Amino acid sequence: MLMKRLVLAGAISLLAGTAYADCAFENKMEIKSLTAGFAAWKAVTDAMAECGNVQAELDQEFRKKQPDAFAANPSLYDIGGVANSTILPLLAAGTIRPLDDYVAKYGQQLKPNQLIKVDGKTMAIAMDVNAQHLMYRSDILGDLGIAAPKTYDDVLAAAAKIKAAGVVDYPLGGTYKTGWNLAEEFVNMYLGNGGTFTDANNMPTINNDAGVKSLETMKALTAYMDPEYLVSDSTYVQQQFQQGKIAMANLWATRAAAMNDAAESQVVGKVTMAAAPMGSVRPASSLWWDGIVIAKNISDAKAEDAFRVAMEGIDKDMVQANNDVAVWLIDGYVPGPLAAGAAATAAAGAVPYPASAQMSIMHTALGNGVADYLTGAKDAKTTLADIEAAYTTAAKEAGLIK
Amino acid sequence: MKFRTFAIFVGPSVFMMLLFIAFPLISVFKQSFYVTQPVYDQVTVETCTPGFLKQICTSEVKSQPRLDANGAPVTQTRFVGLQSYRNVLEPDRAWAALSRWDLSTLLTIDFWKALRFTVMFTLVTLPLVLVTGLAIAVAVNNATKSLRGPLIFVSLLPFIITPVIGALSIRWLFIGDGIMTAFLEWALGHNISVFANAWAIEALMYFYRVWHVAPFAFVIFYAGLQTVNQDTLESAIIDGASRWQRLRYVVIPHLMPLIVFVSLIHLMDSYRVFDEIVGFASQAYVISLQWLTYDLLTPDDSGTRAISRASASAMLTMIGIVILLIPLLRKTWRDHKSQVH
Amino acid sequence: MSGPRALQQPLSLKIGSSAFLIFWCLVAAFPIFWIAVMSFKSPIDAFSSNPLNVIFGPQTRAAGRGLSALDIALGGAVVYAAARLSMGWLGRQVRALAPMGQIWLGWVIGAAAFALGFVIVFFGILPMVLNVLDPLAGPFGRDIIGLTTENYRAVWIDRGFSRNFVNSLIVTTGVVTVSLTVGTLAGYGLARSGSNLAFWLLIVALIFRALPHSVLVAGYLPVFINSAEILRPIMGDAAPTLYGKPFAVIAVLVAINQPFTIWMLRSFFQNIPRELDEAARVDGCSHFQAFRLVIMPVMWPGVITTGLFSFLLGYNDFLVTSLLLDASNQTMVPAIAGMFNRETTTTDQVQAVAAAVSITAPLFLLVMVFQRQIVSGLTAGAVKG
Repeated sequence: MLMKRLVLAGAISLLAGTAYADCAFENKMEIKSLTAGFAAWKAVTDAMAECGNVQAELDQEFRKKQPDAFAANPSLYDIGGVANSTILPLLAAGTIRPLDDYVAKYGQQLKPNQLIKVDGKTMAIAMDVNAQHLMYRSDILGDLGIAAPKTYDDVLAAAAKIKAAGVVDYPLGGTYKTGWNLAEEFVNMYLGNGGTFTDANNMPTINNDAGVKSLETMKALTAYMDPEYLVSDSTYVQQQFQQGKIAMANLWATRAAAMNDAAESQVVGKVTMAAAPMGSVRPASSLWWDGIVIAKNISDAKAEDAFRVAMEGIDKDMVQANNDVAVWLIDGYVPGPLAAGAAATAAAGAVPYPASAQMSIMHTALGNGVADYLTGAKDAKTTLADIEAAYTTAAKEAGLIK
Repeated sequence: MKFRTFAIFVGPSVFMMLLFIAFPLISVFKQSFYVTQPVYDQVTVETCTPGFLKQICTSEVKSQPRLDANGAPVTQTRFVGLQSYRNVLEPDRAWAALSRWDLSTLLTIDFWKALRFTVMFTLVTLPLVLVTGLAIAVAVNNATKSLRGPLIFVSLLPFIITPVIGALSIRWLFIGDGIMTAFLEWALGHNISVFANAWAIEALMYFYRVWHVAPFAFVIFYAGLQTVNQDTLESAIIDGASRWQRLRYVVIPHLMPLIVFVSLIHLMDSYRVFDEIVGFASQAYVISLQWLTYDLLTPDDSGTRAISRASASAMLTMIGIVILLIPLLRKTWRDHKSQVH
Repeated sequence: MSGPRALQQPLSLKIGSSAFLIFWCLVAAFPIFWIAVMSFKSPIDAFSSNPLNVIFGPQTRAAGRGLSALDIALGGAVVYAAARLSMGWLGRQVRALAPMGQIWLGWVIGAAAFALGFVIVFFGILPMVLNVLDPLAGPFGRDIIGLTTENYRAVWIDRGFSRNFVNSLIVTTGVVTVSLTVGTLAGYGLARSGSNLAFWLLIVALIFRALPHSVLVAGYLPVFINSAEILRPIMGDAAPTLYGKPFAVIAVLVAINQPFTIWMLRSFFQNIPRELDEAARVDGCSHFQAFRLVIMPVMWPGVITTGLFSFLLGYNDFLVTSLLLDASNQTMVPAIAGMFNRETTTTDQVQAVAAAVSITAPLFLLVMVFQRQIVSGLTAGAVKG
C-alpha cells in the first residue's frame, strides 16, 4: 500500500516537474536569493525561478556569507533562506525588513503558524519544520518481540536485545560527528532532561545533574554504535540505515524519505517513524524551522517583488509536487507516514531549539568539548566545567558577559 | 642593477603581496591586541516560532545589540593587551598541568593539543617524505628507459590530484567497512575501526601526507639524479666504492641542496596542516594549529566569530614557523653574503 | 643505461627495486582507481562493503546497465589504439604543425583536440556500434560487469557541471598567466640584484609562503563584499563589488602564489649565466631589452615548470574560491565539496564521486603532456638554490 502511494507520488512529482503551474505574475526586476542547499530549498528556489529573472544561489557557505552580504548597501541578495539560528545575525544587525505589509497584501494563503514574529513584527515566513526523532526497523523489533521504544531506557534495552540476537552490525546509529552534530545531540538530550543552557546574565548553567545525566546517556548509547561514531554525520547514519547495518537511530525528519528510496535503500518499507525518546521531562529533541527573509537594504519596490517571488516559491503547487521532501507548514501539505515521527515528537511536547547569540556560542563550545567525555579523556564533571570555561571565554570576547 | 630598474621589475609582484598578504597580516597583528564587540542591552522580546501545528510564543529577556540611528549595530573596540593570547594559551592551566608533569591534562587544552600534533606531524612526515621520495627516485632511475615515462606519470598522480579529493578517496578506503579496513580485518582476523582510535587516525593522516607529498620530493630528486656527475661516479667505482657508498658519498651530497629545498617546502606546508583534519574529520582526537585558527574564525549560527583569539592563534602559529625556519634563514643569509663579496 | 660492468646490478637489487616500484605504483594509483570504479556504479553498489560488489556491480547490472565481454574487448582495443596514437602519431603531428619555438602550445592544442576526439569515439560512437553488435554475439554479448555512465550524465548535464568547468578554466588560465608575467619579472630582478633589499624581499616572501591561508582569507570576505562602498570615494560609481568576481579571485591566488613563484624563477634565472645579458647590455640594450631579447628565449623550461605549479594551485584551490565566488562563478572544487556537504543522499554522493573523477581527468592530461618538461625544467636548474 505504502509502496503504491510512493510510486504514485513519484509519478506525480515527475509530471509536475515538467509541467509546473506557472508563476502568477511576471517578474521584471532581477531578484537574487541566498539559501542553504538541501532538497527543500532546491524545490522552493526552483518554484521561484518560474517567475523569471530569479537567480538562486544554494550555497553551503551561506552561513559565512549571509550576514556580510545582507549588510552591504545595496544588499547583494534580496531573498535569504534562514533557520531558527541563522536568522539571528540578520536580526541583530537589522539587515532584514518587517514583512507585515506584504503579508497583508500578498500573503492571504499563509497560515498564522508560518509567521515568525519578533516583538510583534513579522520578520520571516517559515516553510517547514524539522526535528530529530526515532526511526527503527519495525521488522527487526517485531521479530524479536520488542515493543516500540518510548524512552532512552527502552532504547538501551532494545539495543541490548538486538545486539544479543546479532541481526545487524550495530543496533544503534547516531549523528555524533564532532562539532555541530554532536552538540545538537547533547542539546536534544539536555532539553529532554529539562535543562537550561544559560541564565539571565548569560552565564553558563550546564554543569549540573541534568548535564551529567545527558552525557551518561549519550555514552551508554555509543556502546551499541559503530565505534566510529565521532565521524558519523546524518548522511552516514542514513546510509547505515539504507544498507541494513543499524536498527535504530534518532535522525532528522528530512531523512525519512531516503529510507524508502528504492534506488538507494535495501530496507524499503521496513523503517518506522516514531517520536523521539522521552528524556526525564520531555522528548529528547528540539524543533527547527526554515524560512524566508527579505533584505532591508534594497528599494521598497524591489522588496515587494522579492516577496511576491518568495510567495510563489512556497505556494501550494510547490508543496504538492514535493510533498515528501520536508515536513511543510504550507497549505496543501498532506502529512504521510514519513512525517509521523516529527508530528509525534512535537505532540509529546518537544520545545523549539532555544536559538540566541549565547546559545550559538554554547553550541560551538559543546561541539568541541563533548567528545572528550565520550573518548574517556575527561570525566563528566570536568568535561562540563571545561565547556563552561570555553563558553565563558568566548562569550566575554563577544561582549555578552561583562 | 639600478634601484629604479629593480623596482620596476619587482614592483608588480611586491605590490600584490603587499595588498593581499602584508596588509591582512598587519590587520591580524593589530586585531590580536584589540577586542571589538557589539553593545548589548537587556530587553524583553516576544518571539513566535512555528510548532508542528500551532505557533509557540515565548517572552523572555534577551541580550539584544543596540542599533544606531542608521540601524547599524553599535560596536566598541577596546585594547586588551595580551588577553587574547592568554585566552589561547591558557597559561594558568597549562602551567598547573606542567608543574604536576601531567601531560595528558596539558594536552586537553586546545592550543597545546594542536601544537603537539602540528609539531609531531611536521617532524614525523619530513624524514618519511625524504626517504620515500629518494627511494622512488633511485628506483625509477634504475628502471628500463622505456618504462620510466609511465612510472613518472603514475608516481606523480598523488601529488597532482586535488587535495580535497585525494583525502576523501583515502578516507573511503578506510571508513566503516571500507575495503582497506575489510582487507585488514580479513588479514588480521579481528574487527578494526580506524576512525575510532586516535593513533589510527593520526597514522592515517601521516600516511596521507606522505602519499601526497612524496611524489613532489621524487620528481625533484629524480631531476637532480639526471645531473649527477658521471665521471665522479666512475672514479668512485674504480676506487672500489660499493653501491651504498656511492649513494652515500657521491649521490646524496650532490642532491643536498635539493634535500634542503624539499625540506624547506615540506616544513612550511606541513606546519600549516589543515586539509587532513577536515578530510578525515579528526577534530575529536587531533587538531592542528591552522585548524584551530580556522575554527575560531568560523562564524557560529549567530554570526559570532572569535576574531581576537583567532588573530592571536594565527600570530602564535607564525612565530612557530619563523622558529622552524631560522636555521634555513641563517644559511640563506650566509649564502647571500658570500655571493655579494 | 649501458655503463661499465660495475654499474650493472645484481639480480637481488633488481628484483628488490622493481618490487618496491610495483608496490609504490599500486599505492599511488589505487585510491584514484577505486573512486573511478565507484563513479560508474549505482549508489547501492558503489558504497557496498563487499569489494567484489563494487567491482562487478550486481545491482547496476540488474538495472540493465553493464558491459559484455565483447564491449570490454572492443573498448580495450580503442583505448590501446588511442594510447599508441598519442605516443607516436600525435607527437609527430604536433611537431610538424606547431609553429617553431611554440611546440608546447602545439601540445596543448593537440592534446585537447585528441582528448575531444577520444571522448566522441569512446562515449559517442562506440556504444552505438556495440548496441548493434551485442545481441549478435551470443554469450559474449551478455553483460558481465555492471557499469553505468548515468552519474556522469547527471553531473555534467543535469547539474550543469560544465559551467563550473568553464569557470575553473577561466580562473586557472588567469592565475597561470598573471602569476608568470608578474613572477618572471620579479624573479629576474631578484636574480640580477645582489642588494640587501633583494635579499630581505626574498626572506619576507619566504615567511609569506609559510603563512596559514585561512588567516588571510577570512579577512578578505567583508572587504570584498563591501568593496563598492569602500572604493566609491576613489572610483565613483564605477566601483566594483569584488565578491563573486573571477578576476578578484585570480588576483588573490596570484598573490598567495607569488612567494613560491619568485623563489623558483629566481633560482632558475641565477643559472642563466650573467654574461649573457651583460653582453647584451654592453651592446647597448637596456635591462628590459636584454630581458626580452636574451633571457626570454631561454627561460621557457623554468617557466613551464613554475607554471605547472601555479596551475595546480589555481585548479585545486578550495579555501579562496569557496569563500569569494558566488554560485554563478563557482569553480569545480568548491562545487564538488558542496555536493558532498549538502544534506546529501547516497545518489548525490555517487554523483559527487563522478564529478571528482571528472575533475582529475584534465590533470591526467596535463601531466601526460608536460611530464618531460617538468623533469627537464627542474633539471635545468629551477631548484638549484
